[in-house]
Amino acid sequence: MTAAPPWLEILDDTIRACATLRRGDLVDRLLDRRALLLEPGRRLVVTGYPGQGKSQLVNALIGTDVCAVGDDLTTVVPTVLRHADRPTAALITGDTTEAPAVESVATHANKLALVRGDVVRAEVGLPRSLLGAGLVLVDSPGFGAPGCPRTARAMAALAEADAVLLVTDATSELSSLELELLTQVGKLCPTVLVALTKIDLVPGWRRVAEADRHRLAQAGVAAPLVPVSSTLRAAAVRAEDRALNQESGFVELIGCLRRDVLTDPVLVAAKAAAATSGLAVDQLIAPLREEFDAGPRAADTRAVAEWHAAGRRVERLQRESARWQTTLSDEVADLMADLDHDLRERTRRILREVDDYFEAADPAKVWPEFSDWMHDNLTAVAETNSQWLLDRFEWIAGRVARQVVPDARQLPAEVLRGLATEHVVGLRKPAIEPFSPVQKAFVGLRGSYSGLLMSGLATTLAGLPLINPISLGAGAAFGARSVFEERGARLKRRQAMAKTTAQRHVDDFFLSYGKESKDATRLIHRALRDRFAEVAQELRDAAAESARLIKRDLDAEAARRTTRAAEVRRELERLLALRARIEAVRGRGA
Amino acid sequence: MMSAILGEGVSVERVAVDWPGPVELMDGETDADAVVYLQPQPGTLPDTDAVSTLVVFSRADELGGGRVDALVSARGLARRHARTSNGCQDVLAVSGLVALAGATLTPDEARLIASLSTLPRTEIDPLLLSADRFATYPDPAAVALPTRLGLFGIRLSIATARRGLRSHDALAAELLRASGISDLRESITRNFVDRAPVLQALSALRAVDTVLREDPRPQLANDLERLMTSAHEPRELLLLAALRTGRVSLGEHTEEALYLLGAHGTSPATRLTLTNGDSYAAALHWRTLAESPHHTTRERQAAHTITRTCEALITTGAVH
Ligand SMILES: Nc1nc2c(ncn2[C@@H]2O[C@H](COP(=O)(O)OP(=O)(O)O)[C@@H](O)[C@H]2O)c(=O)[nH]1
Ligand SMILES: [Mg+2]
Repeated sequence: MTAAPPWLEILDDTIRACATLRRGDLVDRLLDRRALLLEPGRRLVVTGYPGQGKSQLVNALIGTDVCAVGDDLTTVVPTVLRHADRPTAALITGDTTEAPAVESVATHANKLALVRGDVVRAEVGLPRSLLGAGLVLVDSPGFGAPGCPRTARAMAALAEADAVLLVTDATSELSSLELELLTQVGKLCPTVLVALTKIDLVPGWRRVAEADRHRLAQAGVAAPLVPVSSTLRAAAVRAEDRALNQESGFVELIGCLRRDVLTDPVLVAAKAAAATSGLAVDQLIAPLREEFDAGPRAADTRAVAEWHAAGRRVERLQRESARWQTTLSDEVADLMADLDHDLRERTRRILREVDDYFEAADPAKVWPEFSDWMHDNLTAVAETNSQWLLDRFEWIAGRVARQVVPDARQLPAEVLRGLATEHVVGLRKPAIEPFSPVQKAFVGLRGSYSGLLMSGLATTLAGLPLINPISLGAGAAFGARSVFEERGARLKRRQAMAKTTAQRHVDDFFLSYGKESKDATRLIHRALRDRFAEVAQELRDAAAESARLIKRDLDAEAARRTTRAAEVRRELERLLALRARIEAVRGRGA
Repeated sequence: MMSAILGEGVSVERVAVDWPGPVELMDGETDADAVVYLQPQPGTLPDTDAVSTLVVFSRADELGGGRVDALVSARGLARRHARTSNGCQDVLAVSGLVALAGATLTPDEARLIASLSTLPRTEIDPLLLSADRFATYPDPAAVALPTRLGLFGIRLSIATARRGLRSHDALAAELLRASGISDLRESITRNFVDRAPVLQALSALRAVDTVLREDPRPQLANDLERLMTSAHEPRELLLLAALRTGRVSLGEHTEEALYLLGAHGTSPATRLTLTNGDSYAAALHWRTLAESPHHTTRERQAAHTITRTCEALITTGAVH
């Protein structure tokens, strides 16, 4: 067992690189190629457009009519000729192998391929010195319209070539299609020769050969062009005519084949392997290079902008939190002062009326009506004052809310109202003390007025207008009733007594309602502060969290980009190193 | 009226010189009523208007590798292509080189061929192996002969001379016959010259169609479309081509069909030659064929086309 040739190592490295970069298609193709390159014997694929004399040339080379020759499109599937000690033939279809006669296998394969899609190739083994020297000859179908099955088979045959012999006839110069084909072939398989056939037929073949060589040079195809005549060669073989054989050009053609293909078969294989590897590596490099040249992708600008915005939001929320607390305290302090003043003002007005009233009226006579009036008025005061408190709180809450949640209506007004009302319900039903039993006795009142008081309170609560502070003027309520009915000192005393009693009653109301109102204010204040603090905290947390998430994504993305860039760079460096090794193998061949 | 598209660098004179009838040869595709498409190699046939196209394998001698039977083989190939292709009236194999040689054979050339034909086989055969070898023959006319006649032409004329046809005229006639040029002439006459009015009318319609495409007028375009699809003559021509190339066969009725379709002349009398001049009976007969269940769809369609021809003969006395 000889040591593995260096090209094998390169090919295997290429296959590994293809696998790493998940190019299964390339891996498959390279593995097929590898298997063929390891086989003994070098494959010379005879290719070209139809009717140029490919099959005839193969026949002339080995001196037997094995390949089907015809004036029309004849060759449909490839025929592969190898050395064998005695003639053998095989027809390979999709799943079967037949063994027809050597002379008819190619014709049979071509005919069969016209009706069946799965004919792969004909194989022939012949005892010939040229084949014995390690040449495997492949007669391939002529190229046709792009994409047709014949063209596909011709391409497939070329993909397996170690060396290529392009056949073009002397009846016309190399066409641009043929030149294009040569250029493509050169990339796939660097060992290329051109045979100019039918020179027996064309008087001006030397001029055509010159023109063709010129075209080859212009197209940058470094392939020797050998003019030949298969007909002359066949005649020479038949007549064993050395001079004619020389004339046929086949002596030179075989010389060329021996020199370029058979003298150093390892080099031919190495060059083919290098070309195949090179093509594959180029296919790997192209997308990586593109990515590398484009540079690391810039961070997503929108994400960055979002991150900045989130940061600013957190800062602002922090700043706002100090401010709204101050606002709230200030507003509540103002509210307390205003409420106190309002209450004082209203109660004083009531007392003034009481004084005026009892200048003339006799309490003994009007007390029940008076006590109703008093009750109604005090209720109205409480009602108005507490409503005011409520309205003011609503306004304050709105104002503070705008500071806490600057950019949204996340706290709907209803929430605020619900919050405040809860604490004001008590105020709306102030516990106005009924007159004491002493007072009752004093004014000689009949029982149950406290019941009246209660029902009066109920009606008040139900329908009293909110804005009108004192709905019932004393005069309007009682008219001029019995004012002058009783005179004298008793009356005066009774009047003074009534005034004092009313005074004390109002004072009591003032104190107790005032206290309750202040308590309510404090409670609401505290509740509002807690609620807002909670909301503000939630907002701050949410903003901080979203900023953190955005930042995390940005960081992860940046890390990914850096890793990918390093990866691309490493991969590219590896591939370029491989490329250099491939070039070295190619260079040795040149 | 007629042009030859040159598939490669062949000069017009190489194909045809004097043409019988009102035919003008033009090089190029512009404004042609009918087209002879020259194709040096068989392969994919051009995609053109079937009614007005003939395809010619113009280097039939090279196609067969210069063998003596090269043109016979090439003709077989052409017939095969004609049978399977619907894109042209006919496919022909012609050697322009040999035709031109036949038309312009010089007495010197004829003399050289005659003298060569008397040489013993052992001497002449090696000379005929290749053009190079032939040019070494010590005669002033020998150098140019491969270029003038081609290897096929030389082999053919020497074989002819061996059969005793040594005179200049006999050799020239044989070259012309073998070249297949008369087939081409006949085909052009039959397919194009005789039907020139129809082809001209069609090409005029096509011209109108092109103009309409650039300046659309729906009503006119519709009328034109109807005219072009309903026109009977193109169908006649296609059917003729199909019958001649063997794409369709009408068995024993084929000959009568060819007459009716105007293959031998388009006057009503000529068309009705095989029908005893009775267009009415012919129409009935062909309608029966068109409805016969014993025929394939293609055959019934063919019979239907001929029925229409007969009907036209009844109503107008001519087919238009
Ligand atoms: N005169 C001559 N004819 C040839 C030569 N080589 C091929 N031919 C003819 O060219 C035609 C096509 O040959 P073929 O080998 O089938 O061409 P392929 O399609 O390229 O395989 C056949 O008619 C051959 O006889 C040659 O060297 N000299
Ligand atoms: Mg072939």
